[in-house]
Amino acid sequence: MNRALLPEMLHSTDMTVLERQRARFKWQQEQQQQQQQQSFFGDLSGVFQLQQQHQGFQGDLGEVVTRSVKPDPSLMDNGWSDLVGFGPCGYGNYNGSGFDVNCAISSTSSCPPAVVAPATNAKVLAEGREPVLSEKLNSGVARECLKKRKVDKVQNSTKVVAEDDSRGKRIKGCPEDGESKNTQKNNKSSSTSKNSNKENSAETSKDNSKVTEVQKPDYIHVRARRGQATDSHSLAERVRREKISERMKYLQDLVPGCNKITGKAGMLDEIINYVQSLQRQVEFLSMKLAAVNPRLDFNVDNLFAKEAFPAWATNFPASGMSSDMTNRAYLQFNQVQQQQQQQLVTCCGLDVGINPPDMGLRRTISSPRSIPEMFLDSSCFTHIQPSSTWDADLQNLYNVAFEQGTIEASNLLKMEM
Amino acid sequence: MTSIYQINSATRIRFARRFLISLSRMRRASTLGPPSDEEIRTRTRRIRIVSYSSMAFAVGSSRAWSRALVLKIRNRARFRGILRNKCLASKKKRVIKRHKVSREMSKTDMLRRLVPGGAGMGICGLLEETAHYMTCLATQVKVMQSIADHYSK
Repeated sequence: MNRALLPEMLHSTDMTVLERQRARFKWQQEQQQQQQQQSFFGDLSGVFQLQQQHQGFQGDLGEVVTRSVKPDPSLMDNGWSDLVGFGPCGYGNYNGSGFDVNCAISSTSSCPPAVVAPATNAKVLAEGREPVLSEKLNSGVARECLKKRKVDKVQNSTKVVAEDDSRGKRIKGCPEDGESKNTQKNNKSSSTSKNSNKENSAETSKDNSKVTEVQKPDYIHVRARRGQATDSHSLAERVRREKISERMKYLQDLVPGCNKITGKAGMLDEIINYVQSLQRQVEFLSMKLAAVNPRLDFNVDNLFAKEAFPAWATNFPASGMSSDMTNRAYLQFNQVQQQQQQQLVTCCGLDVGINPPDMGLRRTISSPRSIPEMFLDSSCFTHIQPSSTWDADLQNLYNVAFEQGTIEASNLLKMEM
Repeated sequence: MTSIYQINSATRIRFARRFLISLSRMRRASTLGPPSDEEIRTRTRRIRIVSYSSMAFAVGSSRAWSRALVLKIRNRARFRGILRNKCLASKKKRVIKRHKVSREMSKTDMLRRLVPGGAGMGICGLLEETAHYMTCLATQVKVMQSIADHYSK
């Protein structure tokens, strides 16, 4: 091991890993085209704004990134995302993202495939991997990391430490395990093939162009970050998002005046305002009723009749009722409580089936069914003497009344609003 | 799915019926002269509670918000005497807290406060409950409006 490089390693979070990585990398470096590596490392320094300007360290950085992730199958996904992002992102945003060492190591930030490429290439060649597969993996993983970078940049610092530690431990455990590498290779290829299917072609071309600059790197042993969105997760999230958007659209139809508003935030504002306004209206109306109530004689049945009848009265011409019926309805309306109750009970009695011939008609009125229950207690139930024609007409009227009653109420509400 | 959100006319009628019955049960303390302000205030509160409870009972246990509202009303009725003093005492503290917290409250949190039972739901369920609650509130307003208009004539 080259102990001379130890001081630079102090900057890194995982010193033991770096030591080993550096040693290995140095060995491989000698075997590769060093000029190419130098050039890439030069770019790297500009890209990453690394604190350590030592070229060797940068090279080691790349090596660390690639190697550290390699031997641990359990962290495959994590390492994958960690390393891969380096490639396209780094080249794409030389100074834009302000990567630091942590970013470079951790994950979603970009790692130029060049850095990884020579390092991994060396290892690949040394260990007899397939460059083609690695290239595919590289592109796929790079894209995946790009995506993740946008999401997870914030979490870099915390994750870096954890991952470095975990990586370090695992590397100590099995640094040169060929079998594990092979299994990782298979898993990585499957995961990246899946990812590559999903990613954009634009990114692919960018990755490929960068990849072709260097030798084909081998990302088989690159590990994706732990807990990152696998396919099932992203699918579930997509479903959830679609559900939420569907509900927001329905709410948009409900809330008046929300056609132009797009976006969840504005819609939520409107919804909150609308619900608050409705609650305020309830409060205001309850105040109104509190003031109004004591004056009048409050009779439930009376109210129900009055509520239904005005609609009847206004709609009699519409429904084509005879004037005779109209008069009778008005008479009933103005008369004594008992008669009103009787009439209402008559209507309801029809629903309840006191008049067997009207059973068929009764079926047409489904909604007012609940009303008869109210009048079951009343003693007027026994006073029912319906006539056949009156029953039929009343049922029609009743049906119409409730429809109209609600429409009338809604009109009133609209006028007020 | 949208059919779940729509309110049947049966619900509307049930609500109207319950509301009217409860209103008729409310008696004035003194029938002499115009009602005092204090009396109006108490009546307002009671009528408001009655309207919400009628709506909740009319909807039944089919929606989460109605279930939560029914539970709240029942608990309130049960512990009205015990909690009244406690509530009055802790109201001041609550008000102070609200001033501090309201700035950081997100919109979803505000929506959760508005819709009864919204605290223990995800966003998906919250939006669903909000839709149904909005339609119920609208019908409540319409029925109360018609009743108030009828009585003001």
